[in-house]
Amino acid sequence: MFDNFLIRPDSLRNEVQDGEVIGFTLAVRHANYRGCYLSLHNGYFLEVDGTTYPRSSQTFEVNGREPRSFEALRTAVWEHWDYDDEGLLHVAAPGGLAPGEHIVRLQQSVLAAYGYLPTDEEWVTNPPEPGTGAGSDKTPQIVSYRLTLTEPEMSR
Amino acid sequence: MTMKRGVSLYSYQQSQFFKELDLEAQIREVGQNLGGATGIELIDEMSLHYPDPGPEFLARWHHWMDEYGTRPVAMDVGMDVLQFRDHVMTHRECADRLIHDIRLAKSLGFGIVRTLSVVPIDIMEMALPIAEELDIRLGKEIHQPMRLEGQQVAEIIELADRTGSSHLGIVPDLGIFQFKLSQAQLAWFGRRGAQQSAQDASVELALGIRDGSAPFDHTGLFAHTAGNLRSDFARYLSSGTAPADELSAFEGVKTWTDERVDAPGAIDYTVVAEALMFSHTSADRLRELAPYVTHVHGKFNHMSEVPGRPGQYHDDAIDYPAAIGALKAGGFDGYVNSEYEGQRYWQDRTVDDLQSEVEQVRRHQEMLTRLIAA
Repeated sequence: MFDNFLIRPDSLRNEVQDGEVIGFTLAVRHANYRGCYLSLHNGYFLEVDGTTYPRSSQTFEVNGREPRSFEALRTAVWEHWDYDDEGLLHVAAPGGLAPGEHIVRLQQSVLAAYGYLPTDEEWVTNPPEPGTGAGSDKTPQIVSYRLTLTEPEMSR
Repeated sequence: MTMKRGVSLYSYQQSQFFKELDLEAQIREVGQNLGGATGIELIDEMSLHYPDPGPEFLARWHHWMDEYGTRPVAMDVGMDVLQFRDHVMTHRECADRLIHDIRLAKSLGFGIVRTLSVVPIDIMEMALPIAEELDIRLGKEIHQPMRLEGQQVAEIIELADRTGSSHLGIVPDLGIFQFKLSQAQLAWFGRRGAQQSAQDASVELALGIRDGSAPFDHTGLFAHTAGNLRSDFARYLSSGTAPADELSAFEGVKTWTDERVDAPGAIDYTVVAEALMFSHTSADRLRELAPYVTHVHGKFNHMSEVPGRPGQYHDDAIDYPAAIGALKAGGFDGYVNSEYEGQRYWQDRTVDDLQSEVEQVRRHQEMLTRLIAA
C-alpha cells in the first residue's frame, strides 16, 4: 500500500553534525493503515544509487524522541507508531550524498501479521532481513523513488 | 426493524494518510452526507492514539457523536503476537490485549468489538466474562477466503451455544460473496506486468470454481487467510514447496496458467492464483446465521455505474443482492458498514490517479439504501 508515497519527496537531505556531513535522512510513513507498536518495526531495505545501507547503519526518529537503533526499538513494546505520523530515518554515511538526483529503493519491514504464523518462533531469534519480502507487511515489493537531495542549509 | 447503514472509517484510510480528512471530518462525512447513515466503525490503531487516547479525546469523541448524529457501532482490534519480540505471545497475553481493547471500546461507547478471523477461540473465551460484564458483543470476522460453512463459524456458534452467551457472534465481511477479481484489481496486476491472457485466465478460473467446473479441488484453502495464502503461494513459486493442504491447488493454478499464458512469469501465476481466494459461500447459510451476526462489513473494491441506470452503482464482482437479501430474510436488523478496500489498487500510480474514497463510499451507500429497501 501507498507504494509511491512512503517517502516524502522533499525529505532526502544530508545530515550535518559539528560541521561534518555524517549521513543523510528520509521522512517516511507507515505502509499499514493501523501503524504498529514500534517494537514490531524491523528496519528498512535501503539502497541509494546501487549502494545498500544495512539496518545497522539506520536509526529511526519518531514520537519526539532522539533517533534510536532498530535494536533499541525492539524494546519499545508499548510505544505506538501512529498511522498519521511521519518518522525520520537517519542513515550513517560519512560524507553523505552528492547534490542532485538519486534513485532510492526502499522497503519497510514491520513484523505485524494476522494472528499466529509458522514463522513466529523463527522471527523471535532470527528476524527477517528487510528486502527479502518476508516481514514486509502491506507493501511486499521494494519500491523505487527518484528523489532530489535537498540542500542541508534548508534542513531544520 | 430494518437494517441500518454505517461506515467503517477504514474506508477513508487514504484520505487520512494524505491529511485530507481527519477523524472528525470522516465522522462528519458519515453523519451529514450519506442520506441517513448513522453507524461508525473504526480500527483502534488507525483512528485513535493507541493504546490510550486520553481523557480529552474521549470528551471530543462523544461530542462529535452528538454533533453529527452518529453512533459508535464497532471497534476493530488487532493481535500482534510478536509485540514483545523476545517471545511469541501466549493466548493469555493475547486475551489481555483483547480485554484492554474491550475496555477502550466501552469508554468510547461502542457496543461491539470485532476480532480478527484468525483469533483462536480460547482467547475469545478468556475475554468473554469481561465482555459480558461491560455489555460488549465480541464479533469474529469471517473474511474471504474463509466461508460461513467452515470451522471458524462453527466454533464460535458452538461457544455461544455452550456458554449461552448473547455476547458472541460473527462479522461477515461481504468479500466472502466476491466471485472474481474486480476491474480495479485486474488493472493493478496488469500494471505490474500480468499479461492480458493471465488476467483472463484468472477470471475464467474463478468463474469455473464458482460453477463447479474447475479441474482441481481447492477446498483445503478455506481455513487460511488470504494474506497467508498469498505468502505461501509466493514461496511455492520460488521454492516449489507448500503446506500439504495447499499444494494440489497451487499445482492446479500452475497448470491452468501454463495452458493459457505464453511464457508465464511469477506475476502471471500470481494473478491466476487470486482465483483461489474466493469463499464461494452460501447466501442461505447467511440467512440461517443472521441471529449470530453482530454487524456486517460491507466490503467493496470498486463501485461503478450500473449500465443503463444513471445514478445507481454496484461492485460487479461481489454478489450484494444475494447477501443483503439473505440478511433481510434472516431478520437481521443491525448495521451494514461500508468498507472500501479498493483505494490500494491505485496507489502505485500518481496522485492524480488516486480514487476518491468519499465518492466510492457515497456510491456504496446508494447501493445499500436501494438493496435494503428492495
